[in-house]
This record gives sequence, structure tokens and C-alpha cells, in this order.
Amino acid sequence: MRTPSRFMLQLLSGGIVICAAAMYSAAADAAPQVTLNASKATPRQVEPLTERAVLRDYKSAWTSLTQALASSSLDPLNGLFEATADKWLTDAVKDQQSSGLSRRYLNQNHQVDAVFYSPEGDVIELHDTAEYDLEILDGSKTIHNEHVIVHYVVLMVPGAERWVIRHLQAVPQF
Amino acid sequence: MSWSISTVWKTLRPGFWVLSLAVSALCLTVALCAQDITLQAPSDAVAGKAAKIATTGSGSAKFYLLGPSTAVKRDVQLGQDIALAPDEVQSAGRYVAIVCAGSCANADFFVAPGKPVSLVFLVHPSRAPVGKSGLISGVAMPFDEYHDLVLTPAAVDFQLSAKSGTPVSHAVETHDGAAWFRISSGKSAGPLQITASMNDVVARRVVQQVASDPCNLRIKGERTAQGIEVETDPVRDCDGNPVPDGTIITFTAKGGDETSTVDAPVKKDVARARMSAKGPVVISAASGVVMGNELRLGGQ
Repeated sequence: MRTPSRFMLQLLSGGIVICAAAMYSAAADAAPQVTLNASKATPRQVEPLTERAVLRDYKSAWTSLTQALASSSLDPLNGLFEATADKWLTDAVKDQQSSGLSRRYLNQNHQVDAVFYSPEGDVIELHDTAEYDLEILDGSKTIHNEHVIVHYVVLMVPGAERWVIRHLQAVPQF
Repeated sequence: MSWSISTVWKTLRPGFWVLSLAVSALCLTVALCAQDITLQAPSDAVAGKAAKIATTGSGSAKFYLLGPSTAVKRDVQLGQDIALAPDEVQSAGRYVAIVCAGSCANADFFVAPGKPVSLVFLVHPSRAPVGKSGLISGVAMPFDEYHDLVLTPAAVDFQLSAKSGTPVSHAVETHDGAAWFRISSGKSAGPLQITASMNDVVARRVVQQVASDPCNLRIKGERTAQGIEVETDPVRDCDGNPVPDGTIITFTAKGGDETSTVDAPVKKDVARARMSAKGPVVISAASGVVMGNELRLGGQ
């Protein structure tokens, strides 16, 4: 016969497993899926190490952007955006803070092609076909929900330790 | 008391009318709240230019506009155009407009970049040795007044002019918002002016072309009371450009089993050194991988 303490332990373990599963599910929603094809970039060929770095940092940037716009906080931006991209995001977050709006990018899937890599390797242009569920909230009330495919033209430049986004502009088509 | 139908009707009639009115009012309210709202988004919005969104319906509503750098909420009247101020649509990209009055309606639209007013122009390197193939490159990207990347193809005119020689012009059409070139460095040292222009938008850069590696390095020398005085002829590259001051020339003296080395910088085209050796010596000079002639001097 089970002792009460053993039963409680099993109950606690079950609870932990359920919580972990729920957290994993939430993380899966938030973590962008990104694939990068750099084989067609011109005029400079993208080196494998550079390709991995761009992929890693572009994915991180979208994670930061998602968190910043969901929480209406500048903290997650974390230096992964600069110049125009940083200003636009900062303005959007500040607007959200004053209006009480927020937006969530869920189930993100980004298919990214590198289309231009400058001769000296100081700027790379990406075309991102992004698919996600966009949820817009006024306070805690959802006012808009859509599944959308958006095309982004992205300019990234090498920073001191990582590639950063200087420009992120949605276009009707490539 | 009789419970005939007429008695019941007479008793309930006032309440029935009140109930009917209440139900009608409720239906009207629901109908008004769930009215058919439509939004007609602008089809040709341009960054920084006022735009409007047409609406149907009546009464007041909440309007929301979310764009790349905006998140706006305000009250509007349905049935009237919603005016978008220039500063609400400065950033090119996708916008979502939402109107809520009981239920919500939405429309999305794109804001296009305006005319190019600036060129981001990256040129490398800032100093280039002469006569090197494909060494100098540049990239130009047009942006509008609000820093939106202009993606419409347009010609960028790259013009290169050195102190000697006629200017060279080369037009390149932007592709995905970028135009680029790659050229070899010229034959003469000196500044190379490079301009990128798109209509009346101009960006200028300068590449300093410097002498390449020394060529035909020649030395001469003589014994003096203090030792051996050795110096180069004017040090020039293969195109005759004097190498920059500070270029290091290494002099080596070999005599018997002894070898001594002195580094000397070029100063006003010439590098000089004093070496000490009493017996016969063979002196040579080098700069990088370039070797000069050998100089043989007898013993003291």
C-alpha cells in the first residue's frame, strides 16, 4: 500500500512533468523556426562560418523582436538591432506602451535567402518569407488574429561580435 | 374568478407590450452593435504622406493602426474616412488597420518608400596600392527621407576620377535596392575620387592610392671612418611611384662568418644605414619579399 508521502511525491512529479510540457509548448510557439539558403548570394560567396553566424543572429533577433513587441518592453532587444531597425522597433514599443496595445508573433517559420553579399563582406541582404500567426491585443483583449505570410527585405551588418539587423522592411512581394 | 382566455389576456396585456418593446430594443441594440463594418485601406500609400481609410457603418468606434514603427489607438466615427497623418505612416512596410464597434473589422496595406534622398555608399579599401586587380569595390543603396530602403530599380552612376587620367563613369541599375562595382586600382599614386549619384542625390568617397611594393631596389655605399655608409636609390614601385615614407628597408652585411642586419625607414624616397664591418663584406637590401642588388666592399 502506498504511503501518503510517496503518493504526494508522485503527484508532484506528475505536476512537474505537465508544467514542463506546457512550458515547452509555449517555448515552441515563441521560438522562430529559421532556415537560411545562402547559395545564391552575389557578388561574394557566403562562407559557411558566416552563414551559420547570420542564421544564429537573425533567429536571435526575431526572438528578441517577438518578446519586445509581446511585452511592450525594450529590454529584450539586446543590441541585435541598430540604426533604422532599432529606431523603428523602439518607436513601436513606445507607442505600444502608451496605447496599451501589444502584438504576438506565434508559430513563426522563416525561409530566408541571402540575395546580396557585398564584395567586402560588410553588408548582407536577406529575403525572408515569414509565416506566422499575428495576434493583436488591446490590454488583455484580442482584437485581431490572422495567419499571414509576409515578405521581409533585411539588411544585416557584422558587429563586433555578431551580425546585427540594420533594416527590416516588409514588402508586398520580392 | 373566471380563468377564461379573455380574462388571462386582459391581465397580461400591459406586460406583453412592455416585454415586446424590451425585446425589440434588445434586437435593435444587437443589430447596431453587430453592424457590418468594412474598411477600405489605401492602395498606394507612400511613406510620410497623409493617407485615409474609408469606413462603412455608423456611430463611434475604436480605431487601431499597427505598423513597423507605430501602434496607434483612437476614437473614430464610422461612415467617415479615417485620416492617417504623415508621421503615422513614415516607415515603409505592412500595416494592419482595425476598427472595433461591438465586432471588429480589419484591413492590411503596404506603405511604399518615397523618392530617394540619400545614398548609403560603402567603398573599400580607404588606401589601395596601385596596380592591384579588382581591389577597389563599392556598394550604393538608396534610401528615402524616412530611411526606407528604395527597392524600385534605378540607375546609379559611379564616377571615378584620379589626379591623372580622364574620369571614368559606369552606370549600374540597383537590384533589390543595391548597386555595386569592383575595379582595379590605377597606375598612379594619389587620391581617387569616387562618386555615386542617382538623379540629384550624390555621395562622395576618396580612396588614397599608394605606391605598391618597391621594385628594382638598388643600393650604393662606401667605407668611412665610422664604418660603412649605405643607402638606396630613390625607392619606387614598378610603376615609378615613390613608396611612402616609413617603408622599411632591411640592409644585411655578410662578412666571413658574421652577419649583421639593420632596418631603416624610407625618408624622402631614400633609406640610409650605417653598418660596422672591418673585413670584406657583401651588403644586400630587401623590402618585404623584394630583394635588391648586392654590394661588395673590400676590407679596411
